[in-house]
Amino acid sequence: MLGLAIAACTPARPVIDEEMMRIDGAMPADFSGSWERDYSRGDDVNQVLRDIYYYLSRTSADRAYTTRPGPVQPSSKDMASIRALARLAELITRPQVMTISQNDHEITVERKDDFSLLCAFYDGIAKGTESGYGTEICGWDGDQLVSHLILPDGLQVTHRFTVSEDRQQLRVVTTVASSTARVPFTLQRFYNRFERLPPDFNCIETLSMKRVCSTGEIEL
Amino acid sequence: MARSGLLAVIILVFSLQQPALGEVRDPAALNVSISEFDPGIPEDRSLHRDLQIFPRIRVVEAKFLPFVLRDMLVDSGEWGAVRVVTEPDPAAEVQINGSIIRSDGERLEIRVRATDATGREWFDQVFASSLVQVEQAGDTDAESGRPEVYEEIAESLRAARDGLDDRLLLRIIETSLLRYAVELAPSAFGEYLGENEDGTFSIRRLPARDDPMLDRIERIRLTEYVITDSVDAKFRELYEEIVSTYALWREYRRKSLEYDRQNARRADETRSDAPRGSYEAIKNLYDNYKWDRVTSQEQDRLAIAFNNEVGPVVEAMEVRIAELEGWVDAKYAEWHRLLEELFEVESELNRGTAANP
Repeated sequence: MLGLAIAACTPARPVIDEEMMRIDGAMPADFSGSWERDYSRGDDVNQVLRDIYYYLSRTSADRAYTTRPGPVQPSSKDMASIRALARLAELITRPQVMTISQNDHEITVERKDDFSLLCAFYDGIAKGTESGYGTEICGWDGDQLVSHLILPDGLQVTHRFTVSEDRQQLRVVTTVASSTARVPFTLQRFYNRFERLPPDFNCIETLSMKRVCSTGEIEL
Repeated sequence: MARSGLLAVIILVFSLQQPALGEVRDPAALNVSISEFDPGIPEDRSLHRDLQIFPRIRVVEAKFLPFVLRDMLVDSGEWGAVRVVTEPDPAAEVQINGSIIRSDGERLEIRVRATDATGREWFDQVFASSLVQVEQAGDTDAESGRPEVYEEIAESLRAARDGLDDRLLLRIIETSLLRYAVELAPSAFGEYLGENEDGTFSIRRLPARDDPMLDRIERIRLTEYVITDSVDAKFRELYEEIVSTYALWREYRRKSLEYDRQNARRADETRSDAPRGSYEAIKNLYDNYKWDRVTSQEQDRLAIAFNNEVGPVVEAMEVRIAELEGWVDAKYAEWHRLLEELFEVESELNRGTAANP
C-alpha cells in the first residue's frame, strides 16, 4: 500500500501518458453497473496516515542532521499537508454507491454529491475535459481505467478502477497529491456489484413535465 | 396511337382546374424560400463539449429557427409566399440559406445568405443578437422566440429588394420560372436562359405568353407548391409543438450560463486565505472544479430531457416530409419525362404542319 503511494510520488512517469489515452477497438474492460461500497474491505484512513508517518520519519531530511539513531519525528508542516490530503481523499471516496454507464466510446461514473467522472474516446483517443478550474484526463493502463484530475497549486486526484474477472467486485484506488506535500495520500475502496430492482414504472426526463413515468410505454 | 393516348392523358392532367395563371403580381412581393439552416455542428465530436454544442438540439434548431424568420416575413405582409423547405431551391425567386454559428440561452448568431433567381447575391452576413437583453427589455416574448436578429434579417432583405427597380424584380420572377422550366424540360427551354461566367443567369429571350409548354410548367409548379406548402405546414406543426419546450430550454441554458458566472464569483469569493496546502485551501480548489462540472453535467441532462420531449415530434415530422418529398421526386421525374416526350411530339407535329401547310 505504502509502496503504491511512494511510487505515485516519483515524478519520472506521468500518471497518464499518450499511449494510455489510445484504445484500439473495444474498451479493455467493462465497468458498467451499480456498485455498492464494501465496508469490510479497503483502507483505514488512520492506518494509512500512520504508515506515512512511519515512512516520513525514516526518510526525513532532518535525519541527516541528527546524531541520535532511529526514526526522526516528521515536521508538523509535513504532517499537516498529509492530513489535508487524507481528509480530501476521505471526502472524495465517501460515496456509498456508484453507477457506471459505459458504451463503445464513453464511460461515466456517477457519484452521489460529486460530479460524474467522464472518460470519452473519440476515434480511439481520449478527450480530456478542461475548464478554468482544472483538467480531467483519462486513459487505460492495461485493464485499469485511470482518471486523473489536475487542479491548480499542483493538486492532483487520480482514480484507478479495476474490475474483477467475474465483474462482481470493483476496486478503486484514489490518490491525492499536492506540490505542498512530500508524499501523496492513497486510499483503496472496494465495491460489490448489485442489481437494481426492475422499476415498476418506465420513466423519462422531460423539460416541461419534469419526470414522466408510466407503467406501459411512455407517450408524450 | 400510344403517343396520342399519352398526349391525351397529359392534356387531361394539365387541363385540371388550377388557379388563374398570369395574374398581375406586385413585383416587390417576391416569393421567398427559406431552407432548413445548417446546424453548424463541427464534424469533430470532441469539440462539441468545448463549444457547448448539443448536436441533437442544434438539428432541431436548424428546422425551428427558419420558421421564426418565415413568420416574421409573412407578418410583414411585404412578400409573396414565404415557405420553409428542406433543401435550397435553385429556382426560388428569393432563396435564403442560414447557418447557426452560436445559439445558447444568451446569444444567437446566424450567418445568412440571400440570393435571387438571377443568381444575384443580396447579402451574406452574420446576424447576432443578445437574447437576454432583448427578452429583458420586453422586445420579444420567450414563447415567440423572436429576438431582434430576425428583424435585422428582414430589414436587410427589405433593403436589398428596395435597391432593385420593378424591371429587375420582374426579371427575377421571369428568371425563376425559366430556371424551373429548364430543370423540368431542358429541351424546350434550354435556349431561353444563359448562365454567365460569374454564375448569374441571363434571359436570352422569353417564350410567348401563350406558349402551351410554359403554361404546363406553371401548372406543374403550382402543383409542386401545394406539396411545398404541405412541407411548410409540417414545419409550422413542429414549431407550434415545440415552441414552449424550446423557450424552456433556452431559459435553462441561460440559467446554466448564469450558474457558470455564479461559480466564477464563488471561486473568487471563497479564494481561501488559508495557508497553501491546508485542507481548506485544497478543498476549495476541488470544489471549484466540482461545481463547474456539476453545472455542465446538469446541462447535459437537460439536453437529454429536451430531446426526450421533442425527439418523437421531430422524427414524426421527418417521416412525413420524407413521404411528401418522395412523392414530389417521383412525380418530378415523371413530369420531366412526360414534358420531354410532349415537346418531341409537338415539335414533330409542328414540323409536319410546316411541311404540309
